[in-house]
Amino acid sequence: MTLLRRLAASAPPPVYPCIGPGMLDPVERLFASGCARRALSPASAGVLLIAGVVPDRAAAAIDRLHDQVPPPRRTVGWSGADEPSNSLHDAWSGVLSGDGAEPDRLPDEPPNEWRGKGDHGHGGEGMMGGTPYGRPMAMTGEDPRDGLQLDRYTMRVGPFAPMLPPGLELEVTLQGDLIAAARVLQPPFPQEDTASAPPACAARMLRLLGLPHHADRLLRGGRVRAGVLCAVPKGLGAAMPGRDARARLRRWLDGEPGAAQAPEFGALITGLEWHEAILMLNSWSPEALRRAAEAA
Amino acid sequence: MSPLVLTLPVALLAGAWLAAWIDRLAPALWGGRAAGPLAPLRDGAALLARPNATTEAPDRLTRWLAPGTYLVLAAAGLSVVPLAPGVAAVDSPVGIVVWGACEALTVVAVFLHGWSPNSPFPLIGAYRYTAIGLPVMLPSMFVLIAAALPAESLSLIAVVEAQREVWNLVRQPIGLPLFLIVGLTLTLRGPFDFADGADIAGGTSAEESGPGRALWQLARLTMLTAFSAMAATAFLGGPLGPGLPAPMWLALKTVAVMLLTILACHALARTVPSRMLHLLWVAALPLSFLHLALAGWVAL
Repeated sequence: MTLLRRLAASAPPPVYPCIGPGMLDPVERLFASGCARRALSPASAGVLLIAGVVPDRAAAAIDRLHDQVPPPRRTVGWSGADEPSNSLHDAWSGVLSGDGAEPDRLPDEPPNEWRGKGDHGHGGEGMMGGTPYGRPMAMTGEDPRDGLQLDRYTMRVGPFAPMLPPGLELEVTLQGDLIAAARVLQPPFPQEDTASAPPACAARMLRLLGLPHHADRLLRGGRVRAGVLCAVPKGLGAAMPGRDARARLRRWLDGEPGAAQAPEFGALITGLEWHEAILMLNSWSPEALRRAAEAA
Repeated sequence: MSPLVLTLPVALLAGAWLAAWIDRLAPALWGGRAAGPLAPLRDGAALLARPNATTEAPDRLTRWLAPGTYLVLAAAGLSVVPLAPGVAAVDSPVGIVVWGACEALTVVAVFLHGWSPNSPFPLIGAYRYTAIGLPVMLPSMFVLIAAALPAESLSLIAVVEAQREVWNLVRQPIGLPLFLIVGLTLTLRGPFDFADGADIAGGTSAEESGPGRALWQLARLTMLTAFSAMAATAFLGGPLGPGLPAPMWLALKTVAVMLLTILACHALARTVPSRMLHLLWVAALPLSFLHLALAGWVAL
Protein backbone atom coordinates (compact mmCIF):
# COMPACT_ATOMS: atom_id res chain seq x y z
CA MET A 1 0.00 0.00 0.00
CA THR A 2 2.83 2.38 0.79
CA LEU A 3 4.28 2.07 -2.72
CA LEU A 4 0.82 2.63 -4.20
CA ARG A 5 0.33 5.75 -2.08
CA ARG A 6 3.77 7.09 -2.92
CA LEU A 7 3.15 6.61 -6.62
CA ALA A 8 -0.31 8.18 -6.28
CA ALA A 9 1.09 11.16 -4.35
CA SER A 10 3.36 11.99 -7.29
CA ALA A 11 0.40 12.11 -9.73
CA PRO A 12 -1.29 15.47 -10.37
CA PRO A 13 -4.10 15.81 -7.81
CA PRO A 14 -7.64 15.41 -9.23
CA VAL A 15 -9.36 18.67 -8.30
CA TYR A 16 -12.98 19.76 -8.80
CA PRO A 17 -13.14 23.57 -8.86
CA CYS A 18 -16.02 25.66 -7.50
CA ILE A 19 -15.21 28.96 -9.18
CA GLY A 20 -16.39 32.21 -7.61
CA PRO A 21 -16.63 35.75 -9.08
CA GLY A 22 -13.45 36.94 -10.79
CA MET A 23 -11.67 33.57 -10.47
CA LEU A 24 -12.45 31.86 -13.79
CA ASP A 25 -9.26 32.93 -15.58
CA PRO A 26 -6.87 32.16 -12.67
CA VAL A 27 -8.42 28.70 -12.23
CA GLU A 28 -8.21 27.88 -15.95
CA ARG A 29 -4.56 28.96 -16.00
CA LEU A 30 -3.87 26.87 -12.91
CA PHE A 31 -5.12 23.71 -14.64
CA ALA A 32 -3.41 24.61 -17.94
CA SER A 33 -0.10 24.78 -16.02
CA GLY A 34 -0.43 21.04 -15.33
CA CYS A 35 0.08 21.19 -11.55
CA ALA A 36 -3.37 19.69 -10.98
CA ARG A 37 -5.85 17.74 -13.10
CA ARG A 38 -9.32 19.23 -13.52
CA ALA A 39 -11.87 16.58 -12.57
CA LEU A 40 -15.00 16.89 -14.70
CA SER A 41 -17.22 15.59 -11.91
CA PRO A 42 -17.01 15.67 -8.10
CA ALA A 43 -17.12 11.86 -8.01
CA SER A 44 -13.82 11.68 -9.91
CA ALA A 45 -12.09 14.27 -7.68
CA GLY A 46 -10.18 13.98 -4.41
CA VAL A 47 -9.82 17.68 -3.63
CA LEU A 48 -12.50 20.37 -3.80
CA LEU A 49 -11.12 23.79 -4.71
CA ILE A 50 -13.17 26.81 -3.62
CA ALA A 51 -11.77 29.66 -5.70
CA GLY A 52 -12.65 33.17 -4.54
CA VAL A 53 -15.55 34.29 -2.39
CA VAL A 54 -18.60 32.32 -3.48
CA PRO A 55 -21.90 34.23 -3.05
CA ASP A 56 -24.40 32.90 -0.51
CA ARG A 57 -26.81 31.72 -3.18
CA ALA A 58 -24.29 29.05 -4.22
CA ALA A 59 -23.32 27.89 -0.71
CA ALA A 60 -25.80 25.00 -0.69
CA ALA A 61 -24.44 23.76 -4.02
CA ILE A 62 -20.90 23.66 -2.55
CA ASP A 63 -22.16 21.51 0.32
CA ARG A 64 -23.76 19.07 -2.13
CA LEU A 65 -20.62 18.92 -4.30
CA HIS A 66 -18.46 18.45 -1.21
CA ASP A 67 -20.42 15.37 -0.21
CA GLN A 68 -20.20 13.94 -3.73
CA VAL A 69 -16.38 13.86 -3.57
CA PRO A 70 -15.77 10.31 -2.27
CA PRO A 71 -14.26 10.35 1.25
CA PRO A 72 -11.51 10.78 2.36
CA ARG A 73 -11.63 14.23 0.78
CA ARG A 74 -10.16 17.68 1.37
CA THR A 75 -11.30 21.21 0.61
CA VAL A 76 -8.85 23.96 -0.35
CA GLY A 77 -9.77 27.65 -0.39
CA TRP A 78 -7.91 29.91 -2.83
CA SER A 79 -8.17 33.69 -3.02
CA GLY A 80 -6.03 33.97 -6.14
CA ALA A 81 -3.33 35.96 -4.32
CA ASP A 82 -0.84 33.13 -3.84
CA GLU A 83 0.35 30.09 -5.81
CA PRO A 84 -2.02 27.24 -4.82
CA SER A 85 -0.13 24.21 -6.15
CA ASN A 86 1.57 23.50 -2.79
CA SER A 87 -1.68 23.55 -0.85
CA LEU A 88 -3.34 21.36 -3.50
CA HIS A 89 -0.51 18.81 -3.26
CA ASP A 90 -0.64 18.91 0.57
CA ALA A 91 -4.39 18.34 0.44
CA TRP A 92 -3.88 15.45 -2.01
CA SER A 93 -1.33 13.84 0.34
CA GLY A 94 -3.87 14.23 3.13
CA VAL A 95 -6.55 12.59 0.97
CA LEU A 96 -4.27 9.62 0.24
CA SER A 97 -3.23 9.13 3.86
CA GLY A 98 -6.81 9.59 5.08
CA ASP A 99 -5.69 11.93 7.88
CA GLY A 100 -8.05 14.74 8.84
CA ALA A 101 -10.73 13.54 6.43
CA GLU A 102 -13.70 15.88 6.17
CA PRO A 103 -17.08 14.46 7.21
CA ASP A 104 -20.27 14.95 5.17
CA ARG A 105 -21.73 18.44 5.39
CA LEU A 106 -25.30 17.35 4.72
CA PRO A 107 -27.29 14.50 6.27
CA ASP A 108 -27.35 11.39 4.06
CA GLU A 109 -31.09 11.51 3.42
CA PRO A 110 -33.45 12.49 0.58
CA PRO A 111 -33.87 16.24 0.04
CA ASN A 112 -37.65 16.03 0.44
CA GLU A 113 -40.17 13.73 2.02
CA TRP A 114 -42.18 11.30 -0.09
CA ARG A 115 -45.11 13.30 -1.44
CA GLY A 116 -48.39 11.63 -0.68
CA LYS A 117 -50.15 12.48 -3.98
CA GLY A 118 -50.79 10.74 -7.30
CA ASP A 119 -51.70 7.17 -8.14
CA HIS A 120 -48.78 5.69 -6.26
CA GLY A 121 -48.30 8.47 -3.76
CA HIS A 122 -45.25 9.90 -5.56
CA GLY A 123 -46.85 13.01 -7.06
CA GLY A 124 -46.94 11.77 -10.68
CA GLU A 125 -49.31 9.81 -12.87
CA GLY A 126 -49.34 6.05 -13.21
CA MET A 127 -45.84 4.76 -12.45
CA MET A 128 -44.19 7.89 -13.87
CA GLY A 129 -43.46 11.53 -13.12
CA GLY A 130 -43.58 13.33 -9.81
CA THR A 131 -40.72 14.05 -7.47
CA PRO A 132 -40.66 11.21 -4.94
CA TYR A 133 -38.25 12.11 -2.12
CA GLY A 134 -37.37 15.23 -4.11
CA ARG A 135 -35.98 13.29 -7.09
CA PRO A 136 -37.56 14.29 -10.39
CA MET A 137 -38.84 11.27 -12.32
CA ALA A 138 -39.29 11.17 -16.08
CA MET A 139 -42.85 11.74 -17.38
CA THR A 140 -44.07 11.40 -20.95
CA GLY A 141 -44.61 14.61 -22.92
CA GLU A 142 -44.80 15.72 -26.54
CA ASP A 143 -41.50 15.63 -28.42
CA PRO A 144 -40.95 19.04 -30.03
CA ARG A 145 -39.52 17.53 -33.24
CA ASP A 146 -41.95 14.80 -34.26
CA GLY A 147 -44.87 15.00 -31.84
CA LEU A 148 -44.29 11.56 -30.31
CA GLN A 149 -44.95 11.09 -26.61
CA LEU A 150 -41.49 10.66 -25.10
CA ASP A 151 -40.09 10.77 -21.56
CA ARG A 152 -39.27 14.22 -20.24
CA TYR A 153 -36.82 14.67 -17.40
CA THR A 154 -36.32 17.99 -15.65
CA MET A 155 -33.02 18.75 -13.95
CA ARG A 156 -31.03 21.69 -12.67
CA VAL A 157 -27.48 22.26 -13.92
CA GLY A 158 -25.04 24.63 -12.21
CA PRO A 159 -23.85 26.79 -10.55
CA PHE A 160 -20.51 24.93 -10.75
CA ALA A 161 -21.10 22.67 -13.76
CA PRO A 162 -17.82 22.34 -15.71
CA MET A 163 -19.43 22.92 -19.13
CA LEU A 164 -21.17 26.19 -18.12
CA PRO A 165 -19.74 29.52 -16.91
CA PRO A 166 -19.48 29.55 -13.08
CA GLY A 167 -22.63 30.78 -11.36
CA LEU A 168 -24.98 30.03 -14.25
CA GLU A 169 -27.88 27.85 -13.11
CA LEU A 170 -30.23 26.36 -15.67
CA GLU A 171 -33.38 24.32 -15.29
CA VAL A 172 -33.64 22.12 -18.37
CA THR A 173 -36.27 19.62 -19.41
CA LEU A 174 -34.61 16.92 -21.48
CA GLN A 175 -36.05 14.35 -23.84
CA GLY A 176 -33.06 12.11 -24.40
CA ASP A 177 -30.45 14.80 -24.94
CA LEU A 178 -32.86 17.18 -26.65
CA ILE A 179 -33.68 20.28 -24.62
CA ALA A 180 -37.48 20.49 -24.63
CA ALA A 181 -37.63 23.48 -22.26
CA ALA A 182 -35.03 25.65 -20.55
CA ARG A 183 -35.12 28.40 -17.95
CA VAL A 184 -32.27 30.53 -16.62
CA LEU A 185 -32.47 30.46 -12.80
CA GLN A 186 -29.33 32.44 -11.97
CA PRO A 187 -26.88 34.43 -14.13
CA PRO A 188 -23.14 33.65 -14.28
CA PHE A 189 -20.89 35.33 -11.69
CA PRO A 190 -19.10 38.48 -12.88
CA GLN A 191 -15.58 37.74 -14.13
CA GLU A 192 -12.49 39.80 -14.92
CA ASP A 193 -11.94 40.89 -18.54
CA THR A 194 -9.20 38.24 -18.89
CA ALA A 195 -11.86 35.49 -18.65
CA SER A 196 -13.59 36.96 -21.72
CA ALA A 197 -10.33 37.43 -23.69
CA PRO A 198 -10.35 35.67 -27.11
CA PRO A 199 -7.82 32.89 -26.24
CA ALA A 200 -9.64 31.99 -22.99
CA CYS A 201 -13.03 31.84 -24.74
CA ALA A 202 -11.72 29.88 -27.72
CA ALA A 203 -9.96 27.44 -25.36
CA ARG A 204 -13.29 26.64 -23.64
CA MET A 205 -14.90 25.77 -26.98
CA LEU A 206 -11.90 23.66 -28.02
CA ARG A 207 -12.17 21.60 -24.82
CA LEU A 208 -15.81 20.88 -25.65
CA LEU A 209 -14.68 19.74 -29.11
CA GLY A 210 -12.35 17.23 -27.45
CA LEU A 211 -9.14 19.22 -28.09
CA PRO A 212 -7.63 19.98 -24.66
CA HIS A 213 -4.04 20.22 -25.99
CA HIS A 214 -5.07 22.81 -28.57
CA ALA A 215 -6.84 24.73 -25.77
CA ASP A 216 -3.73 24.70 -23.55
CA ARG A 217 -1.65 25.91 -26.49
CA LEU A 218 -3.97 28.91 -26.89
CA LEU A 219 -3.70 29.74 -23.19
CA ARG A 220 0.11 29.65 -23.49
CA GLY A 221 -0.13 32.28 -26.24
CA GLY A 222 0.19 29.89 -29.19
CA ARG A 223 -2.06 29.71 -32.24
CA VAL A 224 -4.46 27.05 -33.46
CA ARG A 225 -5.27 26.48 -37.12
CA ALA A 226 -8.78 27.21 -38.37
CA GLY A 227 -9.32 23.57 -39.43
CA VAL A 228 -11.02 22.92 -36.10
CA LEU A 229 -13.86 25.23 -37.13
CA CYS A 230 -15.54 22.61 -39.32
CA ALA A 231 -16.49 20.65 -36.17
CA VAL A 232 -18.88 23.45 -35.14
CA PRO A 233 -22.17 23.06 -37.07
CA LYS A 234 -22.96 25.92 -39.43
CA GLY A 235 -25.81 28.19 -38.39
CA LEU A 236 -25.65 27.20 -34.70
CA GLY A 237 -26.77 30.13 -32.54
CA ALA A 238 -27.01 32.46 -35.53
CA ALA A 239 -28.54 35.84 -34.75
CA MET A 240 -28.21 36.58 -38.47
CA PRO A 241 -26.41 34.88 -41.41
CA GLY A 242 -22.66 34.68 -40.85
CA ARG A 243 -23.01 35.40 -37.13
CA ASP A 244 -23.11 31.83 -35.86
CA ALA A 245 -21.05 29.97 -33.25
CA ARG A 246 -18.52 28.94 -35.89
CA ALA A 247 -17.97 32.58 -36.90
CA ARG A 248 -17.58 33.59 -33.26
CA LEU A 249 -14.94 30.89 -32.71
CA ARG A 250 -13.16 32.03 -35.89
CA ARG A 251 -12.99 35.59 -34.58
CA TRP A 252 -11.63 34.42 -31.22
CA LEU A 253 -8.97 32.29 -32.97
CA ASP A 254 -8.01 35.41 -34.94
CA GLY A 255 -7.65 37.27 -31.63
CA GLU A 256 -10.72 39.49 -32.06
CA PRO A 257 -13.05 40.01 -29.09
CA GLY A 258 -16.64 38.75 -29.28
CA ALA A 259 -19.95 40.51 -28.65
CA ALA A 260 -20.35 42.37 -25.34
CA GLN A 261 -23.79 40.88 -24.74
CA ALA A 262 -25.40 37.62 -25.87
CA PRO A 263 -29.05 37.41 -26.92
CA GLU A 264 -31.59 35.98 -24.46
CA PHE A 265 -30.28 32.42 -24.50
CA GLY A 266 -32.88 30.48 -22.48
CA ALA A 267 -35.20 30.45 -25.50
CA LEU A 268 -32.33 29.90 -27.97
CA ILE A 269 -31.17 26.61 -26.45
CA THR A 270 -34.70 25.18 -26.39
CA GLY A 271 -35.04 22.64 -29.22
CA LEU A 272 -31.28 22.03 -29.46
CA GLU A 273 -29.45 18.88 -28.47
CA TRP A 274 -27.37 19.17 -25.30
CA HIS A 275 -23.98 19.20 -27.07
CA GLU A 276 -25.18 21.87 -29.53
CA ALA A 277 -26.62 23.95 -26.71
CA ILE A 278 -23.41 23.78 -24.68
CA LEU A 279 -21.28 24.67 -27.71
CA MET A 280 -23.61 27.58 -28.47
CA LEU A 281 -23.54 28.94 -24.91
CA ASN A 282 -19.75 28.74 -24.90
CA SER A 283 -19.60 30.70 -28.15
CA TRP A 284 -20.36 33.78 -26.04
CA SER A 285 -18.02 35.00 -23.33
CA PRO A 286 -19.06 34.52 -19.67
CA GLU A 287 -19.56 38.29 -19.36
CA ALA A 288 -21.77 38.39 -22.49
CA LEU A 289 -23.90 35.60 -21.02
CA ARG A 290 -24.09 37.35 -17.63
CA ARG A 291 -25.29 40.60 -19.21
CA ALA A 292 -27.88 38.71 -21.25
CA ALA A 293 -29.16 36.81 -18.21
CA GLU A 294 -29.33 39.94 -16.06
CA ALA A 295 -31.07 41.93 -18.80
CA ALA A 296 -33.70 39.18 -19.06
CA MET B 1 -6.73 -23.08 -27.93
CA SER B 2 -2.97 -23.13 -27.46
CA PRO B 3 -0.79 -22.23 -24.44
CA LEU B 4 -0.16 -18.97 -26.32
CA VAL B 5 -3.37 -17.75 -24.63
CA LEU B 6 -1.15 -17.09 -21.61
CA THR B 7 0.66 -14.39 -23.59
CA LEU B 8 -2.58 -12.40 -23.98
CA PRO B 9 -2.63 -10.75 -20.51
CA VAL B 10 1.03 -9.74 -20.89
CA ALA B 11 0.47 -8.34 -24.39
CA LEU B 12 -2.67 -6.47 -23.30
CA LEU B 13 -1.05 -4.95 -20.19
CA ALA B 14 2.12 -3.96 -22.07
CA GLY B 15 0.00 -2.46 -24.85
CA ALA B 16 -2.17 -0.59 -22.35
CA TRP B 17 0.87 0.91 -20.64
CA LEU B 18 2.46 1.91 -23.96
CA ALA B 19 -0.80 3.48 -25.22
CA ALA B 20 -1.24 5.39 -21.95
CA TRP B 21 2.32 6.70 -22.21
CA ILE B 22 1.94 7.75 -25.87
CA ASP B 23 -1.25 9.55 -24.80
CA ARG B 24 0.82 11.52 -22.29
CA LEU B 25 3.53 12.27 -24.87
CA ALA B 26 0.94 13.75 -27.26
CA PRO B 27 0.73 17.23 -25.61
CA ALA B 28 4.32 17.86 -26.82
CA LEU B 29 2.97 18.09 -30.39
CA TRP B 30 1.05 21.18 -29.29
CA GLY B 31 3.90 22.72 -27.31
CA GLY B 32 2.90 21.16 -23.99
CA ARG B 33 4.88 19.03 -21.60
CA ALA B 34 5.41 15.34 -22.39
CA ALA B 35 5.24 13.00 -19.41
CA GLY B 36 7.71 10.23 -18.61
CA PRO B 37 7.05 6.49 -18.88
CA LEU B 38 6.05 6.29 -15.21
CA ALA B 39 3.18 8.79 -15.60
CA PRO B 40 0.56 6.13 -16.51
CA LEU B 41 1.53 4.14 -13.42
CA ARG B 42 1.25 7.25 -11.24
CA ASP B 43 -2.18 8.10 -12.62
CA GLY B 44 -3.26 4.48 -12.23
CA ALA B 45 -2.07 4.48 -8.62
CA ALA B 46 -3.95 7.76 -8.02
CA LEU B 47 -7.13 5.97 -9.06
CA LEU B 48 -6.44 2.74 -7.16
CA ALA B 49 -5.68 4.65 -3.95
CA ARG B 50 -9.17 6.21 -4.00
CA PRO B 51 -12.44 4.52 -3.04
CA ASN B 52 -15.20 3.68 -5.50
CA ALA B 53 -17.81 6.45 -5.66
CA THR B 54 -21.37 5.40 -4.97
CA THR B 55 -24.59 6.83 -6.33
CA GLU B 56 -28.10 6.35 -5.08
CA ALA B 57 -29.63 3.07 -6.26
CA PRO B 58 -26.95 2.06 -8.81
CA ASP B 59 -27.19 -1.18 -10.78
CA ARG B 60 -24.43 -2.95 -8.87
CA LEU B 61 -24.20 -5.97 -11.14
CA THR B 62 -23.78 -4.06 -14.42
CA ARG B 63 -21.40 -1.62 -12.75
CA TRP B 64 -18.71 -4.32 -12.65
CA LEU B 65 -20.05 -6.28 -15.59
CA ALA B 66 -19.49 -3.33 -17.97
CA PRO B 67 -15.71 -2.85 -17.52
CA GLY B 68 -15.28 -6.62 -17.06
CA THR B 69 -17.06 -7.33 -20.37
CA TYR B 70 -15.07 -4.60 -22.14
CA LEU B 71 -11.79 -6.13 -20.90
CA VAL B 72 -12.83 -9.68 -21.88
CA LEU B 73 -13.89 -8.45 -25.35
CA ALA B 74 -10.46 -6.90 -25.87
CA ALA B 75 -8.81 -10.19 -24.85
CA ALA B 76 -11.15 -12.27 -27.01
CA GLY B 77 -10.50 -9.97 -30.00
CA LEU B 78 -6.73 -10.24 -29.56
CA SER B 79 -6.84 -14.01 -29.12
CA VAL B 80 -7.61 -14.66 -32.81
CA VAL B 81 -4.76 -12.47 -34.10
CA PRO B 82 -1.93 -14.60 -35.61
CA LEU B 83 1.33 -14.08 -33.69
CA ALA B 84 3.35 -15.76 -36.45
CA PRO B 85 2.35 -17.18 -39.87
CA GLY B 86 0.00 -20.07 -39.14
CA VAL B 87 0.05 -19.56 -35.35
CA ALA B 88 -2.61 -17.84 -33.23
CA ALA B 89 -3.56 -18.18 -29.57
CA VAL B 90 -7.01 -19.28 -30.76
CA ASP B 91 -6.89 -20.68 -34.29
CA SER B 92 -10.44 -19.86 -35.34
CA PRO B 93 -11.60 -20.56 -38.92
CA VAL B 94 -13.86 -17.50 -38.54
CA GLY B 95 -11.51 -15.11 -36.72
CA ILE B 96 -12.96 -12.08 -38.51
CA VAL B 97 -16.45 -12.96 -37.28
CA VAL B 98 -15.13 -13.36 -33.72
CA TRP B 99 -13.61 -9.87 -33.89
CA GLY B 100 -16.84 -8.48 -35.40
CA ALA B 101 -18.80 -9.93 -32.47
CA CYS B 102 -16.36 -8.29 -30.03
CA GLU B 103 -16.94 -4.94 -31.77
CA ALA B 104 -20.72 -5.22 -31.59
CA LEU B 105 -20.73 -6.30 -27.94
CA THR B 106 -18.52 -3.32 -27.03
CA VAL B 107 -21.57 -1.12 -27.65
CA VAL B 108 -23.42 -3.17 -25.02
CA ALA B 109 -20.56 -2.85 -22.51
CA VAL B 110 -20.39 0.94 -22.95
CA PHE B 111 -24.16 1.26 -22.67
CA LEU B 112 -24.15 -0.74 -19.42
CA HIS B 113 -21.39 1.48 -18.08
CA GLY B 114 -23.58 4.54 -18.61
CA TRP B 115 -26.69 2.80 -17.37
CA SER B 116 -25.34 1.46 -14.07
CA PRO B 117 -24.80 4.65 -11.98
CA ASN B 118 -28.47 5.78 -12.28
CA SER B 119 -27.48 9.33 -13.19
CA PRO B 120 -28.49 11.64 -16.11
CA PHE B 121 -25.15 12.51 -17.77
CA PRO B 122 -23.84 8.92 -17.83
CA LEU B 123 -27.15 7.79 -19.33
CA ILE B 124 -27.00 10.48 -22.04
CA GLY B 125 -23.47 9.27 -22.87
CA ALA B 126 -24.72 5.69 -23.04
CA TYR B 127 -27.53 6.47 -25.48
CA ARG B 128 -25.35 8.72 -27.62
CA TYR B 129 -22.73 6.00 -27.91
CA THR B 130 -25.33 3.42 -28.88
CA ALA B 131 -26.70 5.74 -31.59
CA ILE B 132 -23.19 6.29 -33.02
CA GLY B 133 -22.10 2.67 -32.48
CA LEU B 134 -24.58 1.12 -34.92
CA PRO B 135 -23.62 3.11 -38.05
CA VAL B 136 -19.92 2.60 -37.18
CA MET B 137 -20.22 -1.18 -36.84
CA LEU B 138 -21.86 -1.54 -40.28
CA PRO B 139 -18.94 -0.07 -42.30
CA SER B 140 -16.64 -2.10 -40.07
CA MET B 141 -18.22 -5.34 -41.30
CA PHE B 142 -17.85 -4.29 -44.96
CA VAL B 143 -14.23 -3.28 -44.42
CA LEU B 144 -13.38 -6.57 -42.71
CA ILE B 145 -15.17 -8.66 -45.34
CA ALA B 146 -13.25 -6.75 -48.02
CA ALA B 147 -10.00 -7.56 -46.17
CA ALA B 148 -10.98 -11.24 -46.14
CA LEU B 149 -11.84 -11.37 -49.89
CA PRO B 150 -8.28 -11.80 -51.25
CA ALA B 151 -7.81 -14.72 -48.81
CA GLU B 152 -11.21 -16.23 -49.68
CA SER B 153 -11.43 -17.13 -46.00
CA LEU B 154 -12.66 -15.64 -42.73
CA SER B 155 -9.64 -17.06 -40.90
CA LEU B 156 -7.12 -14.38 -39.94
CA ILE B 157 -4.29 -16.85 -40.53
CA ALA B 158 -5.44 -17.08 -44.17
CA VAL B 159 -5.86 -13.29 -44.33
CA VAL B 160 -2.20 -12.94 -43.31
CA GLU B 161 -1.05 -15.59 -45.82
CA ALA B 162 -2.89 -13.74 -48.61
CA GLN B 163 -0.74 -10.67 -47.90
CA ARG B 164 2.63 -12.36 -48.60
CA GLU B 165 2.92 -10.64 -51.98
CA VAL B 166 1.15 -7.38 -51.28
CA TRP B 167 -0.45 -5.89 -48.15
CA ASN B 168 -4.17 -5.21 -48.05
CA LEU B 169 -3.30 -1.57 -47.39
CA VAL B 170 -2.05 -1.38 -50.99
CA ARG B 171 -4.91 -3.43 -52.48
CA GLN B 172 -7.58 -1.55 -50.49
CA PRO B 173 -6.19 1.88 -49.59
CA ILE B 174 -9.32 3.29 -47.92
CA GLY B 175 -9.83 0.18 -45.75
CA LEU B 176 -7.47 1.30 -43.00
CA PRO B 177 -8.81 4.89 -42.74
CA LEU B 178 -12.36 3.50 -42.49
CA PHE B 179 -11.20 0.95 -39.91
CA LEU B 180 -9.57 3.76 -37.89
CA ILE B 181 -13.06 5.22 -37.39
CA VAL B 182 -14.03 1.89 -35.86
CA GLY B 183 -10.94 1.93 -33.64
CA LEU B 184 -11.64 5.42 -32.35
CA THR B 185 -15.24 4.44 -31.61
CA LEU B 186 -14.35 1.13 -29.92
CA THR B 187 -11.84 2.84 -27.63
CA LEU B 188 -13.98 5.97 -26.92
CA ARG B 189 -11.42 8.33 -28.36
CA GLY B 190 -11.21 11.88 -29.70
CA PRO B 191 -13.64 12.60 -32.55
CA PHE B 192 -15.66 9.44 -31.78
CA ASP B 193 -15.77 9.65 -27.98
CA PHE B 194 -19.49 10.27 -27.73
CA ALA B 195 -19.78 8.30 -24.47
CA ASP B 196 -17.41 10.25 -22.21
CA GLY B 197 -17.42 13.81 -23.65
CA ALA B 198 -16.59 17.01 -21.74
CA ASP B 199 -20.00 18.54 -22.44
CA ILE B 200 -21.64 15.83 -20.29
CA ALA B 201 -19.05 16.05 -17.48
CA GLY B 202 -17.26 12.87 -18.50
CA GLY B 203 -20.43 11.03 -19.58
CA THR B 204 -20.55 7.34 -18.71
CA SER B 205 -17.53 7.84 -16.41
CA ALA B 206 -18.93 10.90 -14.60
CA GLU B 207 -19.90 9.00 -11.45
CA GLU B 208 -16.82 6.75 -11.40
CA SER B 209 -13.77 6.95 -9.18
CA GLY B 210 -11.25 4.57 -7.64
CA PRO B 211 -10.70 1.00 -8.86
CA GLY B 212 -13.90 1.05 -10.95
CA ARG B 213 -12.62 4.00 -12.97
CA ALA B 214 -9.16 2.44 -13.21
CA LEU B 215 -10.64 -0.77 -14.59
CA TRP B 216 -12.65 1.19 -17.19
CA GLN B 217 -9.57 3.14 -18.32
CA LEU B 218 -7.56 -0.09 -18.48
CA ALA B 219 -10.27 -1.75 -20.56
CA ARG B 220 -10.24 1.19 -23.02
CA LEU B 221 -6.47 0.92 -23.39
CA THR B 222 -6.50 -2.86 -23.83
CA MET B 223 -9.20 -2.48 -26.51
CA LEU B 224 -6.88 -0.03 -28.28
CA THR B 225 -4.14 -2.68 -28.16
CA ALA B 226 -6.47 -5.36 -29.55
CA PHE B 227 -7.77 -3.02 -32.26
CA SER B 228 -4.24 -2.00 -33.31
CA ALA B 229 -3.16 -5.63 -33.59
CA MET B 230 -6.29 -6.46 -35.61
CA ALA B 231 -5.74 -3.51 -37.98
CA ALA B 232 -2.07 -4.50 -38.39
CA THR B 233 -3.19 -8.04 -39.26
CA ALA B 234 -5.99 -7.11 -41.65
CA PHE B 235 -4.13 -4.37 -43.56
CA LEU B 236 -0.37 -4.47 -42.85
CA GLY B 237 0.39 -8.16 -43.21
CA GLY B 238 0.45 -8.89 -39.46
CA PRO B 239 3.54 -10.91 -38.49
CA LEU B 240 4.96 -11.07 -42.05
CA GLY B 241 8.29 -9.37 -42.63
CA PRO B 242 11.96 -10.02 -43.33
CA GLY B 243 14.78 -10.41 -40.82
CA LEU B 244 13.08 -9.93 -37.48
CA PRO B 245 11.11 -12.68 -35.69
CA ALA B 246 7.43 -12.75 -36.75
CA PRO B 247 5.92 -11.65 -33.37
CA MET B 248 8.30 -8.66 -33.43
CA TRP B 249 6.90 -7.57 -36.80
CA LEU B 250 3.38 -7.86 -35.43
CA ALA B 251 4.35 -5.79 -32.37
CA LEU B 252 5.99 -3.08 -34.51
CA LYS B 253 2.99 -2.83 -36.84
CA THR B 254 0.62 -2.82 -33.87
CA VAL B 255 2.52 0.10 -32.34
CA ALA B 256 2.42 1.94 -35.68
CA VAL B 257 -1.40 1.64 -35.85
CA MET B 258 -1.61 2.63 -32.17
CA LEU B 259 0.43 5.78 -32.86
CA LEU B 260 -1.81 6.66 -35.80
CA THR B 261 -4.99 6.14 -33.72
CA ILE B 262 -3.69 8.20 -30.81
CA LEU B 263 -2.57 10.98 -33.16
CA ALA B 264 -6.04 11.07 -34.76
CA CYS B 265 -7.58 11.09 -31.28
CA HIS B 266 -5.67 14.19 -30.17
CA ALA B 267 -5.58 16.07 -33.48
CA LEU B 268 -9.18 15.79 -34.72
CA ALA B 269 -12.12 17.73 -33.28
CA ARG B 270 -15.34 16.02 -32.24
CA THR B 271 -18.48 17.42 -33.81
CA VAL B 272 -21.99 17.23 -32.33
CA PRO B 273 -23.61 13.76 -32.29
CA SER B 274 -26.46 14.53 -34.72
CA ARG B 275 -24.01 15.80 -37.35
CA MET B 276 -21.72 12.82 -36.85
CA LEU B 277 -24.69 10.46 -37.26
CA HIS B 278 -25.50 12.19 -40.54
CA LEU B 279 -21.89 11.90 -41.75
CA LEU B 280 -21.72 8.22 -40.81
CA TRP B 281 -24.94 7.20 -42.54
CA VAL B 282 -24.59 9.47 -45.57
CA ALA B 283 -20.83 9.35 -46.20
CA ALA B 284 -19.03 6.55 -44.32
CA LEU B 285 -21.59 3.82 -45.01
CA PRO B 286 -21.85 4.36 -48.82
CA LEU B 287 -18.07 4.73 -48.95
CA SER B 288 -17.64 1.37 -47.26
CA PHE B 289 -20.14 -0.18 -49.74
CA LEU B 290 -18.09 1.20 -52.58
CA HIS B 291 -14.92 -0.05 -50.93
CA LEU B 292 -16.36 -3.57 -50.67
CA ALA B 293 -17.57 -3.50 -54.27
CA LEU B 294 -14.12 -2.40 -55.51
CA ALA B 295 -12.39 -5.01 -53.35
CA GLY B 296 -14.73 -7.68 -54.76
CA TRP B 297 -14.04 -6.55 -58.33
CA VAL B 298 -10.27 -6.63 -57.75
CA ALA B 299 -10.49 -10.07 -56.11
CA LEU B 300 -12.42 -11.45 -59.09
